[in-house]
Amino acid sequence: MKRWWIRPLVRVMAAALLPIAVPLVITLFIWSLPGDPASIVCPPEICGGTEELARDWHLDQGPWHFYLWWMQGALSGDFGNSWRLQPGVPVGELLWQSIPWTAGLVVLAFVPLLIGSALAAMRVLPKKVDGVLQAVGLTPAVVLSLIAAAAVTLKYGAFAYDGEAMRVKLVLGALVLGLSDQALSGAVTGVRSLLEAERNQRYVQIAILRGESVLSNTLPNVLGAIAGQMRARLLHLLSGAVIVEVIVRIDGLGDLLWQGTLSQDFGVVLAAAFGFSALSGVLLILQALVEVGTAMHTRRAPAGFEAPVAEAA
Amino acid sequence: MRRQGGMNRWLAGGLALVCFALLFVPGLFAPEHLAPPILDLAYAPPSQLPPLGGDSSGRPLLEYALQGASVVALPALLAGLLVTALGIVGGLLGCDTSQRAEAVVQGLGEVVGALPRMVVVLVVALLVPKESRSLLPIALTWAVLSAPGAMDEANAVAARLGGARFVEALRAHGFSRWRIYLFHIIGLNLRPVVVRQGVETVMQVVFLEIGLSYLAVQDTQPSLTHGDSEKSWADLLYLGYQVFLDVPSGHALALGLALVGVVALATVFVTSAVRAR
Repeated sequence: MKRWWIRPLVRVMAAALLPIAVPLVITLFIWSLPGDPASIVCPPEICGGTEELARDWHLDQGPWHFYLWWMQGALSGDFGNSWRLQPGVPVGELLWQSIPWTAGLVVLAFVPLLIGSALAAMRVLPKKVDGVLQAVGLTPAVVLSLIAAAAVTLKYGAFAYDGEAMRVKLVLGALVLGLSDQALSGAVTGVRSLLEAERNQRYVQIAILRGESVLSNTLPNVLGAIAGQMRARLLHLLSGAVIVEVIVRIDGLGDLLWQGTLSQDFGVVLAAAFGFSALSGVLLILQALVEVGTAMHTRRAPAGFEAPVAEAA
Repeated sequence: MRRQGGMNRWLAGGLALVCFALLFVPGLFAPEHLAPPILDLAYAPPSQLPPLGGDSSGRPLLEYALQGASVVALPALLAGLLVTALGIVGGLLGCDTSQRAEAVVQGLGEVVGALPRMVVVLVVALLVPKESRSLLPIALTWAVLSAPGAMDEANAVAARLGGARFVEALRAHGFSRWRIYLFHIIGLNLRPVVVRQGVETVMQVVFLEIGLSYLAVQDTQPSLTHGDSEKSWADLLYLGYQVFLDVPSGHALALGLALVGVVALATVFVTSAVRAR
């Protein structure tokens, strides 16, 4: 494909757009709800000072004014205060406290996926294992999370938040996240089928006849697709993190988003959605970088090969 | 020649039907409200309060199972049908000579799939007014988010088939367009993919409902997916989970896990029944 740069460029543009567009869409939806946002948060018949609240939170001059004010703050790291979850507490503080937990959980859960994919790519993991992985993968995150939560509760008590308990929660949570909802089985079978299809290509057969390795020939051509699959898996893990974090009681970004949703704290939900969209943007950029790197590599002339020069007649 | 491996297609289809009937038909008979509590029957085992035992207030767990089925049945089926329909569209686009529609679908898929699904679902749940909360908007959102993957896979199947050249070849053999698209492309080739994607979405929506309801129950908050008077299958798991705290609710846990298992089995059986020859 001559215009190989279009896809990575679109991804980078989408990455830049996501953190801007997601809060905008949520803001517009908040204003589309029946009643104005300040009255939803603080109904005049229950709590006094709704008008002052609207002024303080910039809710009194329409969605654009609010969005621009919020975005300006968000870009400088100020997400305002929590509306209902922990009224008055800066959302940024809640966000910074929760991100390391979610990052740790997702990174730990991603390790078995990465190892499984690599083993499947190298044909070390036999195809027979797929059935077992798929059977385990059919278990929903909520059920495996219950088992993990039960194990933690029995050993450390229901509300244990000390260092050791949290480490155990993180490891068990990551295990749940990696195994449930077809995360591991999807990664293994996805990478395997991609590479098997490529191995059947004619150029690979010729490469084998020439004594070259299969992986060095196939990998540059499938790396972009594998990067896409891995991004999808990471998004899947981020999605599942909400359930795991709440049930296993890990104070991560997913738990924050859930608590914000339950208490209709638009300030927290906006910030958490912004955080998730920023993370998604980073993943898009990483995929774009892999695609660019692969394209540069495959378009480079092989070592020892000189471009043909037009011979003089 | 004897077919190798896998379950008999008809047997799998029959078992899938039984599983779906077990899961969704009882929803039609769900009571509007739970029976009044009988404290003497608190945590009664199935032998004492047949057929499924009682909850912490002595109300029959059968009513939990019935109400849970009524909460998930219609939204999950509609979500599955939507994904199947969109998967078919994706596959048919692969048989079209125009590249533009395909590019637009791929672009939309990239945008829709760029965010974690649960984040989108929670934002949708937040924006649905409290008085009209139901699983349907969440299920349809999940279906829309799942659709690009289904469309992509169906499109790949159509491409492997030969795309527009396959249609031309069959036209040259004198087949009508209806027969080519409905029988050869959708019926024979897209069927395994789009039905599997559809039924997987059904399973995911059921599990999503259980997950969301469980989180709400755990935080003693009203559910995002159903009214306060209804019980979800998540309530069975929550009740049953207390067995780890020495509460005699093992029968509730067993029932909750059995329902989850039947959903998973239904998916496996349908996938096996519709697989390609």
